[in-house]
Amino acid sequence: MPTTAIVSGLVLGGTYALIAMGLTLQYGISRIMNLAYGETIIFFAFAAFLLYSAFGINPIAGLVLLLPLAFAFGYLVYGVMMQPLVRRSARSGNLEVDSILATFGLLFVIQGVMLVFFGSNYTSYNYLNVGVNVLGATIAANRLLAFGLAVLIGGVLYLALTRTRWGTTIRAVAVAPQSAPLVGIDVNRTARFAFALGTMLAASGGVMISMYQTFTVSMGVIFTMKALVVVIMGGLGNLLGALVAGLLLGLVETFVATYIDPGLTLAATYLIFLSVLLWRPAGLFGKATR
Amino acid sequence: MVRALLAVIFFAGALAALAWLPTQFGAYGVGLLLGMTGYVTLASAWALFSGPTRYVSLATVAFFGIGAYTVAVLSETLPYPLILLVAAAVGLCVALVVGLATLRLAGVYFVIFTFGLAELIRQLVTWYEVNITGTLGRYIFLPISGEQIYWQLLALAAVTIGLGWWIGRSRIGLALKVIGDDEVVAAHVGINIARVKLALFAVSATIITLVGAIQAPRWTYVEPSIVFNPTISFLTLIMALLGGANRLWGPLLGAVPLFLLFEWLSANFPNHYSIILGLLFIAIVFVMPQGVLAMVERGWSRVGQRGRKAEPAGTEAAQ
Amino acid sequence: MTALIEITGLRKQFGGLTAVDDVSFVVAEGEIVALLGPNGSGKTTVLNMISGALAPTSGAIRLAGEEIAGLGPHRIAHKGVARTFQLVRILPSLTVGENVMAALAFRHPPVWGGAAEARVETLLEEIGLGGRGAERADNLTYIDQKRMELARALAAEPRLLLLDEWLSGLNPTELQVGIELILSLRRSGMTVLLVEHIMEAVRALCSRAVVMNAGRTIADGPTEAVLADADVIRAYLGEDHA
Repeated sequence: MPTTAIVSGLVLGGTYALIAMGLTLQYGISRIMNLAYGETIIFFAFAAFLLYSAFGINPIAGLVLLLPLAFAFGYLVYGVMMQPLVRRSARSGNLEVDSILATFGLLFVIQGVMLVFFGSNYTSYNYLNVGVNVLGATIAANRLLAFGLAVLIGGVLYLALTRTRWGTTIRAVAVAPQSAPLVGIDVNRTARFAFALGTMLAASGGVMISMYQTFTVSMGVIFTMKALVVVIMGGLGNLLGALVAGLLLGLVETFVATYIDPGLTLAATYLIFLSVLLWRPAGLFGKATR
Repeated sequence: MVRALLAVIFFAGALAALAWLPTQFGAYGVGLLLGMTGYVTLASAWALFSGPTRYVSLATVAFFGIGAYTVAVLSETLPYPLILLVAAAVGLCVALVVGLATLRLAGVYFVIFTFGLAELIRQLVTWYEVNITGTLGRYIFLPISGEQIYWQLLALAAVTIGLGWWIGRSRIGLALKVIGDDEVVAAHVGINIARVKLALFAVSATIITLVGAIQAPRWTYVEPSIVFNPTISFLTLIMALLGGANRLWGPLLGAVPLFLLFEWLSANFPNHYSIILGLLFIAIVFVMPQGVLAMVERGWSRVGQRGRKAEPAGTEAAQ
Repeated sequence: MTALIEITGLRKQFGGLTAVDDVSFVVAEGEIVALLGPNGSGKTTVLNMISGALAPTSGAIRLAGEEIAGLGPHRIAHKGVARTFQLVRILPSLTVGENVMAALAFRHPPVWGGAAEARVETLLEEIGLGGRGAERADNLTYIDQKRMELARALAAEPRLLLLDEWLSGLNPTELQVGIELILSLRRSGMTVLLVEHIMEAVRALCSRAVVMNAGRTIADGPTEAVLADADVIRAYLGEDHA
């Protein structure tokens, strides 16, 4: 049934769009290419699992508890790890490579910590696992809820970035990091804030994923890749682009899984990634290549 | 001339001594030597391309795995030397395709792509094995001893470092230095940047594929999650960076101590292995991003400069 | 005189901005021609399109009758075009000698090994950097970096040399040396197209000048006549002075 594939594709795409927004904030504004992004997602998926299975806290309440924690975590990581690199790169101009290497190390640290605490097994829990009829397609309620949350969080973020003074500050840094200080913007503080905000989005993505999918400690790489594919498809730093591209990726994956082979979804992701890189490196909605 | 000859004699002597070493150790020692030589080769091959171009490749294990898997698939149908040739050819082809597709792009895209490449190939191989051949794992029964693998790796390591030495003195070496400094200038003096990068990437990837192929008989049992283990990419990178990816002997200098350290860590702290690895890696990126050798050299030149500082100023005043 | 470089209907658009609009001019073999115009008039963009750093949106660039528009910079370099950059581009981690060597090693046909080392030394000598080949390029003073950049361009033995404000930033004595250097290039038969703001140098060097304003050519002719042209004065100094 195509409607089932379309609806469940869009629902999955909602999560992708949300996590891609976080990554695009981190790369577009903080200029950090965070390879440990997927590990952050998985970490918070485990946190939600722990809260639910050990303390009986449902994922929605868990989200409320975990988001501030994620923000603090991102704020700390940027302050401790990234700031020295940013300072150093003022001379060497190596921030991109340095941040990739440092976060590559961080990836192993987070993964190692998770291995110690949670082991390497597939994990999942049962929450709102009942079918709901949407336009003739049956979708699990937990997926719908995740989609609703993604729309809510993404929408609030988008409005905040486009309608508030604070959002304008952030966008100014994204567009012109050199000129922003001239109008009195503290670039460093903004970058740190954006990084923390990105971590928060990763955490919310993790909690959502934990609600409807099995996950393992070693899955982070896949989510980083998916988020990156969406970010590049949508154009680096382009929030709306990330949203559309995220939904698109969800659709493509669901269609490949339904009609071709579930084992080939990642291959399909890569195919899209390569195609976009080759034909539209500035993203599907980007302006002409610079 | 005499100095070059002496260097060659020294190099050959050192190589002979290294080749003789396994006779002095038991099976465990040979295994250690073998693994160490493998990583020396991997790190040196990685640095051939990534050192001068500053394109960080995270795809080491993709090629390593391709090599190992080719051996696993063909071990019963072809004679061993031919298998190695086929493996090298497969690695070369994949490298050319990946390189053509991604090397024209900005460095960050290249990193991202290579980051996922190993995962992609692993998934494709898994899918193929499960759906087409119906088995996930494969056995390799080849009559090749640990010593023989070690000697092959030693030869490959010597070739790799020799190649690095030759490139450093050739036009292509100069081209790489120019590209590393300023691609715009490089193109305007007539360097075909895409071709130089592609050639280097292909050579480096082929050597890495061969390391995987040569080491494959050690495992006996092979499945995608073993040979496409991302830790291999990670270790290679950290070793090359520690020693200094821009120096001929840098990767070797990084690989030997780190390999021994990792062996010790995985024996004594199996559960916290990857945490320690990650922290160590971050520390290297922070403390010596150019590697140990560059740091030592900078220290030396600082000492030397104190004496020379006055000279250029003097010539300028005379003009 | 035969035309070495022939530009017809050249256009370059960046998104909605047309930086170069329907520019046509010819530089003959052995000529030194100035490309003038106020800041932002598109001179450097024209140079970038000739050297291959940018691909034109439309139009033709012929080098000795051969179309080169849209080729990559390394291919255009192999056809005999060399250049310097508006903001000096040195290779900072290389020595002065290696900076020049880079151009020798990758031209067609390449010069390499002992022959290249000898040639580097001669070039550095000619340009006033004799015996300083072993110094690191980023330790050079500004003027010496400019010298080195010129030596690198000359090492390619180009048929056409593009100089982008190579004389700017020099003091009066250095300027005289610089002008003398370019004159010696003309005597050797090299064709030069230069972008320059120093009128003294333009008058001393160039037989002909092409003037651009807002992406279009507004004058093309003998230097003295062009510099006296009312349109040119208006473009440089504004309405009141015309």
